[in-house]
Amino acid sequence: MSIKINHLTHIYNSGTAFEKKALDDVSLEIRKGEFVGLIGHTGSGKSTLIQHLNGIIPPTQGEILLDGENIHKDKAKLKEVRRRIGLAFQYPEYQLFEMTVYKDVAFGPTNMQLPKEEIHANVVSALETVGIAPELYEKSPFELSGGQKRRVAIAGVLAMNPEVLILDEPTAGLDPKGRDEILQAIKRLHEERGITVILVSHSMEDVAKLVDRIIVMHDGKIAMLGTPKEVFCHVKDLESMGLAAPQVSYVFTALKEKGYEVPLDVYTVEEAKKVLLNFVKQVSV
Amino acid sequence: MIRDITIGQFYPVDSPIHRLDARVKLTMTFIYIITLFMINSFIGYFFVIGTLLAVIKVSKVPIKFMLKGIKSIMLIIIFTAFINLFMTRGEQILWQWGFLSLTLEGIFLALKMCIRLVLLIIGSSVLTLTTTPIQLTDAIEYMLRPFKKIGVPAHEIAMMMTIALRFIPTLLDETDKIMKAQQARGADFDTGNLMQKAKSLIPILVPLFISAFRRAEELAMAMEARCYHGDENRTRMNRMTMQRRDYHALVMGLVYIVAIFGLRYVSYLLPFII
Amino acid sequence: MKMVKAEGLTYEYIKMLETDHGTEEEKVSALKAVNLEIEKGEFVVVLGHNGSGKSTFAKHINALLEPTKGTLWIKGMNTKNGELVWDIRQTAGMVFQNPDNQLVATVVEEDIAFGPENMGIAPAEIRRRVDEALATVRMQKYATHSPSKLSGGQKQRIAIAGVLAMKPDCIVLDEPTAMLDPVGRKEVMETIERLNKDEGITIILITHYMDEAVRGDRVYVIDDGEVVMQGRPKEIFSQVERLQQYGLDVPQVTEVAHFLRMEGIDIPPDILTVEEMVGALCQLKLTT
Repeated sequence: MSIKINHLTHIYNSGTAFEKKALDDVSLEIRKGEFVGLIGHTGSGKSTLIQHLNGIIPPTQGEILLDGENIHKDKAKLKEVRRRIGLAFQYPEYQLFEMTVYKDVAFGPTNMQLPKEEIHANVVSALETVGIAPELYEKSPFELSGGQKRRVAIAGVLAMNPEVLILDEPTAGLDPKGRDEILQAIKRLHEERGITVILVSHSMEDVAKLVDRIIVMHDGKIAMLGTPKEVFCHVKDLESMGLAAPQVSYVFTALKEKGYEVPLDVYTVEEAKKVLLNFVKQVSV
Repeated sequence: MIRDITIGQFYPVDSPIHRLDARVKLTMTFIYIITLFMINSFIGYFFVIGTLLAVIKVSKVPIKFMLKGIKSIMLIIIFTAFINLFMTRGEQILWQWGFLSLTLEGIFLALKMCIRLVLLIIGSSVLTLTTTPIQLTDAIEYMLRPFKKIGVPAHEIAMMMTIALRFIPTLLDETDKIMKAQQARGADFDTGNLMQKAKSLIPILVPLFISAFRRAEELAMAMEARCYHGDENRTRMNRMTMQRRDYHALVMGLVYIVAIFGLRYVSYLLPFII
Repeated sequence: MKMVKAEGLTYEYIKMLETDHGTEEEKVSALKAVNLEIEKGEFVVVLGHNGSGKSTFAKHINALLEPTKGTLWIKGMNTKNGELVWDIRQTAGMVFQNPDNQLVATVVEEDIAFGPENMGIAPAEIRRRVDEALATVRMQKYATHSPSKLSGGQKQRIAIAGVLAMKPDCIVLDEPTAMLDPVGRKEVMETIERLNKDEGITIILITHYMDEAVRGDRVYVIDDGEVVMQGRPKEIFSQVERLQQYGLDVPQVTEVAHFLRMEGIDIPPDILTVEEMVGALCQLKLTT
C-alpha cells in the first residue's frame, strides 16, 4: 500500500469572486507503515489535502494514486478507498450519535457491510487500541469525559480496519493528560498494527515526539519535507510561515548564535537533556 | 448547495437602497408582495419587473446574487408550474392524457404563478441583501411594538431572529463537517430508497442537534454574563431615525401603489392585452 | 479593597448516576473550601486539568453560579446578594472558551454594543465605548464585518472587546485559547497582556497551557476542587514533579533544567523561558 499524489491542485469556488487556490501543484508520496506529521498554519491547505486523500473532495487537477490506481477512476470503489484510508476529523467527538459506545464504533464497519463476527472483532479491537475499557461499551458516548469521547470517535474510524489513519488535530482542546492518552493510543496503533499514520497538528512538541517524517504546508504548497531533524533546524524559516519549532530547538539555535559548538538538530526533551548535560560537563572540565 | 441560500446574507456596498431606514424597506417589501398578488395582467408584470430591475440597479447588488435565492427554491417553482400546467381546467384543451390535461388557461396560470414566485423571492432578496440582519430585526421589533399590548413578545422575537441569523452560517459549516465525517465512516447519503435516505440522516441530525443544544446553553450563559435580562431598561447603540430620503422613498412607494391600481383598471378596460 | 476574595468557597451539585439499580444521586464537590485573594491590577493564572474545578471557579466570579458554602466577594460585593448580580457581572466580565458560542450579533460592532445596551447606557456613550474597545483589541478594521467570517483568534478578541465595552475592573478568561491555532493564541495572549499592563485591568486567566501561565504575576493550581499550590510562576514551575502529579505540564526548558539540576549541575531551578535557559547555560560557561 502506498499513496502517491501527482500535481494535485484544488480551487474552491472556482469561477466566482471567492475563488481560492487551496492546493497548488502538490506532489507527494507516503509509504507503507510511515508515521508522517503534517504541519502548517490555518489556511495553509493541510485540511484540504487530507480530505483529498480520503476521496471526500475531488481534485480540481491532478490525481491521487492508491497502490498505483487513481481513487476517482471508479466511483463504486470510492467507499472502499474511504475504508482503507481512515480519516478522523478535528473534534471528532462531535460526530458521535449512537445510543452506546459500542454501536457508535460499529457504525463504520456496519456501513461496510462486513459480517457480524468481523464487526464485533473490529469494534472490540479498536476500542482496546484506544484504551476504552469494556465496562464503557454499553454506556452512552455522551456520558464520557472529553478525552474518552475523542478516543471513542477515533476508534470509530479505526474499526473500519484502515491501512492508513489520518488524524486532524487529535489533541486540540485537551488538557495534558487527555493529550498524552491520545498520543499514546496513536503511537500504539502505529506500532502494533503497523498502519500508516498521518498526524496533522499545530503542536510541534507532539509532532517531534512521534513522527518519522514531516511535511510542512504553506500557501497550498509543500514548503518543507524531511525528518524532524532536517525540518526543525530551520527555526527561522518555520517562523516566517507562522509556525514554530519545539521549545528546546530554540535553546540550541540561541547557543549557536552565541558562538558555541552545539548541534542544531535536537528537538526532543530527552535528547536535549543528554546533549546539554554533555555540553555543560564539557564546560566544567 | 446549502450555501446558496441568500436569505440573511447581507451584501455590503453603499447604495441609496442600503441607506434607507429598514422600517421603510420592510414596509415597501410588504406592499410589493401584496401587489404581486393584485396584478392580473402581463402589462402589470412588466411594470413590476421594470420597477424591480430599477431598484436592483440602484442597490448596486449584482443581479447574480438575487438569482441565487431562486436556485434554492427551484424545486418548488417547478412543482407549482407542473400543478398549474396540468391541473387547471379550461376550455381550450391542447393535449390530454388520463387526468392530465394541458390547457391554454393552464399555461397562462402556470406562467403567472412562476413569475410571481420568482418575483417574490427576488423582491425579498433585495430586502435581505441591502439590510443588515440587525437592522431588519430592529425594524421588525419596532413594527411589532404596537402588538406588545396584546401579548406579542416583540423583543424576544427579534432577539430570536438575530441569534438564528448569527448561527445559520455556523450551523451550516457544522452540518458540512458532520456530513464529511460520517461519509469518511462509510455513510451513504445518495443511494437507496426514500426510507433508507431518511434513515441515513440520523447520523447527521443527532450530532447536529446535540451541538446546537450545547451552543444554545453556552450562548445563554455568555449572554447572562454580559448582563442580558430581556428588554427591560435596555438601550440601543443605533437608534432608527427617519431621514428625508426615507420620506422620499415612501412617496415613491405611494406612486407605485397608484400605478398598480391604475394598471388593474386599464386591464379591465382593455382585456385583450391580458 | 480586594478585587476578588474567596473564603471557604464550596460548590456542590447533585449528579444523577445510571446504575443497575436505577438512578442514584451522588453529591459532587466541584470546589472545596477555596480561599484566595486577588488584588486590583494583578494578572493571576488559575491552572488545573479538565474537571479540576477551575471553570466552576470562574463562573462563580461572574455570579453565574452561587456558592453552596462559603463566600465570594467581588470588589466587596457578595455574589450571593441577588440585587448586586448585574453590578458584579459588569465589574468582572467573562470570556469563554468557544469563540463561536459567545458572539450574539451578526455584525462585530453590534456585538460589542450588546453588553452596554443591556446595562442601559445612553446611545452616544455606547458608540464611544464600542469604538474604544475595538481600538484596544486592534480590530477597528472589522467593525462592520460578520463574526462568522473571522478567524478564531479574531473572534476571541471581539469577545474581549464586548466585555471591555462594559468597563469592567476585572476580566475572567476561561481557557480563551484552547480552541485556537498558534497564531490565534498569540494574538489573544498579547491582547490580554496589554489590557493588564496598559489599561490596568485585573486579569484572571484560566488555562492549562504552561507557556501562558508563566506570563502571570501569580499562579494558583487547582486540583480536585482545592487550591493545591500558589505563588509566583517561578516558585510554582520549579516544582516539576508535583505539577506532573496534578496532570500538568511544565515548559520544555524547565523540564530540561530540572533534569540538569538533578544531575548535579548548578543551574537555577526557576528557568521558564528559552532566554533564561540560554542565559544560565552561558553563565555556567563563563564561570568555569
